[in-house]
Amino acid sequence: MDREGYAVNGGSVKENEDRRRRLSARIMRAGLLLLFLAGIALILMGYGGERKLAASGFSEGSGFHAVHALSGDVSAMWKQEILPALENRTDAERAALSELAERLTADAWDQMQSGAGEQVSAVCEEAGGNEQAREAFRFRLLHATYLTNGPRISAADRKKLISLPRERAQAMRDELLTCLLSEKAPVPPEAQSLLDKTDPQEREAVLMQIFLTGCGADRTALGDHIADFKKGIRDKGQQIYALRLIAGGGVGFADQLIFSHSRTIILLGILLIADVILLWLWMAQERRWSFDLKWILILLIINFLMVFQMLPLLYLVFKSLFPDGAFTMETLRRLWSYPLNRNALFNTTVAALATMLLGTLIAFPLAFLVGRTDLYGRRMFRSLFVLTYMVPPYVGAMAWMRLTNPNVGIVNLWLRRILGLGNQPGPLNVYTLPGLIWVLTTFYYPYAFITISRAMEKMDPSLEEASRISGASPVKTLFRVTLPLMLPSLTAGALLVYVSAASCYGIPSIVGTPGNVNTVTTRIVEYAARGQQGMQDAIALSVFLMALALLLLFLSDVVLARRQYITVSGKSTTPTLVHLGAFRLPLTILVGLFAAVVIFLPFATILTTSFKTDVGKSLLDAGNFTLANWKGILSGTQTLSSLKNSLLFATAAATAGIVIAAVMSYLLQRTQVRGRSIPGFLIALGSGTPSVVLALGLILTMRGNFGVSIYGTASILIIAYLIKHLVMGMRTVVSAVSQIHVSLEECSQICGQGWLGTMLKITLPLIFPSVAAGWFLIFIPSFYELSMTTLLYSGTTKTIGFQLYEYWSFTSQPMSCALAFAVLLIVTLLNFVMGRLTKGRFSI
Amino acid sequence: MASVTIRHVTKAFGESVVIRDFDETIKDGEFVTLLGPSGCGKTTMLRMIAGFDQPTSGEIYIGERLVCGGKTFVPPEKRGIGMVFQSYAVWPHMNVFDNVAYPLTIRRLPKEEIRSKVERVLEVTHLTRYAGRFPAEMSGGQQQRVALARALAAEPELLLLDEPLSNLDAKLRESMRFEIKELQKRLGMTVIYVTHDQTEAMAMSDRIFVVNRGGVQQSGTPEEIYHHPCSPFVADFLGKIDFFKGEAGGGKIVLTEMDHQSIPYDGPLTGKVDVAVRPENLQIDPAGTLSGRLETKYYLGDVSDFRVRAGSEQVRVIAPGAAFPDLAEGQEVRFSIREFLVYEDDGSLEEMLQIRS
Repeated sequence: MDREGYAVNGGSVKENEDRRRRLSARIMRAGLLLLFLAGIALILMGYGGERKLAASGFSEGSGFHAVHALSGDVSAMWKQEILPALENRTDAERAALSELAERLTADAWDQMQSGAGEQVSAVCEEAGGNEQAREAFRFRLLHATYLTNGPRISAADRKKLISLPRERAQAMRDELLTCLLSEKAPVPPEAQSLLDKTDPQEREAVLMQIFLTGCGADRTALGDHIADFKKGIRDKGQQIYALRLIAGGGVGFADQLIFSHSRTIILLGILLIADVILLWLWMAQERRWSFDLKWILILLIINFLMVFQMLPLLYLVFKSLFPDGAFTMETLRRLWSYPLNRNALFNTTVAALATMLLGTLIAFPLAFLVGRTDLYGRRMFRSLFVLTYMVPPYVGAMAWMRLTNPNVGIVNLWLRRILGLGNQPGPLNVYTLPGLIWVLTTFYYPYAFITISRAMEKMDPSLEEASRISGASPVKTLFRVTLPLMLPSLTAGALLVYVSAASCYGIPSIVGTPGNVNTVTTRIVEYAARGQQGMQDAIALSVFLMALALLLLFLSDVVLARRQYITVSGKSTTPTLVHLGAFRLPLTILVGLFAAVVIFLPFATILTTSFKTDVGKSLLDAGNFTLANWKGILSGTQTLSSLKNSLLFATAAATAGIVIAAVMSYLLQRTQVRGRSIPGFLIALGSGTPSVVLALGLILTMRGNFGVSIYGTASILIIAYLIKHLVMGMRTVVSAVSQIHVSLEECSQICGQGWLGTMLKITLPLIFPSVAAGWFLIFIPSFYELSMTTLLYSGTTKTIGFQLYEYWSFTSQPMSCALAFAVLLIVTLLNFVMGRLTKGRFSI
Repeated sequence: MASVTIRHVTKAFGESVVIRDFDETIKDGEFVTLLGPSGCGKTTMLRMIAGFDQPTSGEIYIGERLVCGGKTFVPPEKRGIGMVFQSYAVWPHMNVFDNVAYPLTIRRLPKEEIRSKVERVLEVTHLTRYAGRFPAEMSGGQQQRVALARALAAEPELLLLDEPLSNLDAKLRESMRFEIKELQKRLGMTVIYVTHDQTEAMAMSDRIFVVNRGGVQQSGTPEEIYHHPCSPFVADFLGKIDFFKGEAGGGKIVLTEMDHQSIPYDGPLTGKVDVAVRPENLQIDPAGTLSGRLETKYYLGDVSDFRVRAGSEQVRVIAPGAAFPDLAEGQEVRFSIREFLVYEDDGSLEEMLQIRS
């Protein structure tokens, strides 16, 4: 406030004012300095705790890797060995096997021990092959089935452990836990005998196996135990040590806190220092040493993203270059030396490029036909293509697998009948690179479609009319005016497709792995499950993937921003439609056919498969129609609890996300506060990072080693969803706020309404449809998320997406189809509810 | 020859009829303005002439050629028209030269010819200096001139202008007005101009079509329309005018709301009428037959605007400069009417005034 003009005695008031300002600046600087010192003190305190902990003999160990490797082995093995084996069976065999697998995994360990084992043998007998191969197949099937609910252990050891009495197993488990955390603790004799036989390096892994199998006697609790254990191996160990030290006497409450949370304290200290530095910089730039309350909002968001996004990502980058603390290219060299990895790199690049080309080639004409011509039913087509955007990728993959499986794919059966081919496999095979490209394209072309059609519908139509009146035909206008003007959004859409396809995990893991078409993402997930060195390889690969994705996003943002034309006129004009004339009907039929092949066919397949007993037979065949799958998913406690989890996590992520989005849109659009663009940048960075990479980073940094221990909890999933999907919601809300002229709010304030009242009565109602859309845009992908969940789930935090994937991979395809269709129904229903809530003004 | 003949054109969007039986001819080389309030259908008519909309029924000829009607429909690119859009529609991905050259390259003219033609038209529109610039680097007025240059480049015989000046500031608007008129005279084009600004229409047009509710209310030269508006609507739309209620009969009109004072009248109407008077046709006159009380006085520099209360009507009198400096507010004044128009009172006036307010 400059009150100079009002001063009676100008000079002295000005001096007073100056003096006061200088004084408050000095106080502010002193305060910041104090906070800075406090940060250093926190770090020192934490460090002291660490030192004491080290002195007391605590070692971190890598029990984590063992746990993780064990649970990961299950899916890797199933995909690499069992699934391909199943694929080569006849329909009858497959039916028998899948039914068996379902029975076995449901809750029939005992059954497997007695009767089911023989059944498997019988199936294998029928399947033919030599004795050895049958035995191997039988073992693998039994093994994998068991692994669905518990990790691997050799058959002999398992028998031994299972034969233990229940109480003994329980006691042994507890002993082993202590044993694992402290190498000095006595090892129970049963475990010792096992340990003696093992390579010392694998000792820890074996201990973990014994522990888990010990739980295995009490099978229902196994999942919980694993989850519990995963939650923070370091954390637990540290707390036990802290307690032991305290029990030793002479340790006060403060010291106890420092022991048990040493790294959390260090982390807080670092954050405090970072905040103080940022504040200092901002104030120095403002040349005003006073505190702006909005900085708290900015710092909160920045701190959150620093811990849960930047720390994991930077850790990954660091670990890829300095795997053991020293710089080495060894990991990269090793990765490169495997043909499988080179192959995966090649596949990812080719698949993503081809998907981008094909997707854009489909999306542009579609966007034009649907948005700018008098195509019949254009509105319906538009919502149909947009709807595909809300379908989980793996559902499409599942459907295309059923349709174009080389042996029993429905489309293949038809084609064979029509073309008069014999009973040999083919002609289409989804388990190939072209198959993968096709499935990726059918799922990712809507990304380009939405980007392009939004721009196209907003374009000032008189730009095209000017070309027509200048003598250019509609086709010439399309190529010389429309296309060049669309080029920026076309490129943006294409790059979005490229990055999404390259970082997709769900589709390649379902369609690619059976035919050994590996991609970088499937390699990452597989490596991540393979102990210490595997993790190292996974890190290196994911850093590569992250670099690829971020580089492209950077290009699209920076380079294209300069070429972005403002083609939107202030007037709301309805675009003039190009009259297709004689082509109107043929083109409509063409678009309809495309929709039928890409949307109806897969969804119908999912629906009909969900009613089948034998996936290989027609639904109309006698006895093949069943409601059992639907009954199964509707009555299964597993399904219901994972559905509850998904709804809960997605709601939490979307709600937290929309709050951040609202705060950010206010800061960006309504204030000039310094530093407001930093969170926006971080948010864009996080969402541009491939999911698998983000999840891997979180696994490695969120288990207590950096002071935050949320591994295996619901929080880690919610945070991962939030970071990955926040940007979609934020962009929606920010652009909505930018379209509300500030005078609307000012007018309300002039009328006597306060700031909060104005926000609630003017701004919120105006942006409500966009807030709902933003919420929805975070909710939907979080609801069916799979890539990150695969790496981050635990026994108690399974989600619907993961459940579905599990059913598909290990249990029963019809059942997973029922679940997939249920997910589709839920998504569609939500879309409808959102539409009603916002009175039809809701659209994405 | 680029006359435009519009034969019984009707245009309906679904239920709502936007143009109703439009039937006019625009002569070769004529500057015609479609003038009307927003939503009256004038832009729709222009877009039908351009070929962006198709009439529901009726025919349009450009010169002797039927461009739409019956089974015939000539698309816009085949009509050989120049057009300037309200939003300019200057393509942001081409520089000024390419924008202007576009219609010529479409016609596949030799490169040299294109160059010389573009240069000529750029010169005419004072854009030579900006040939290499991109639209984003230019002001609204410059972009508007680019749009005009582009429309002129192919030397069309018919030029359509859709409120081309509405986005410009007052000064620029005035100068562009004369530039356009000048060009039209020089090049001898037929121009159809759409606007809702009556000053613009008066200044530029050979003929004005006053359009309202999908039909032409009156067509004629600016003078005819200003001085002999055929309806209260037209009278009101062009220039300032006030309406007073009256009863005609016996060689006079009794102004019923103005304390039943009367003015002489020997026209054909009898019974209830509306008397329309332009403020410049009223004068403060000590010998005037009408009287009232001076309510307010606004001094506007070149003129003074007096508001006189007579009965329940307010009378607006415009007098030059600082006339009658000694008249004080609240004082009785006498005034007289030099010229007035009389319309039958069919209730349409009330309706119209309601639309206005």
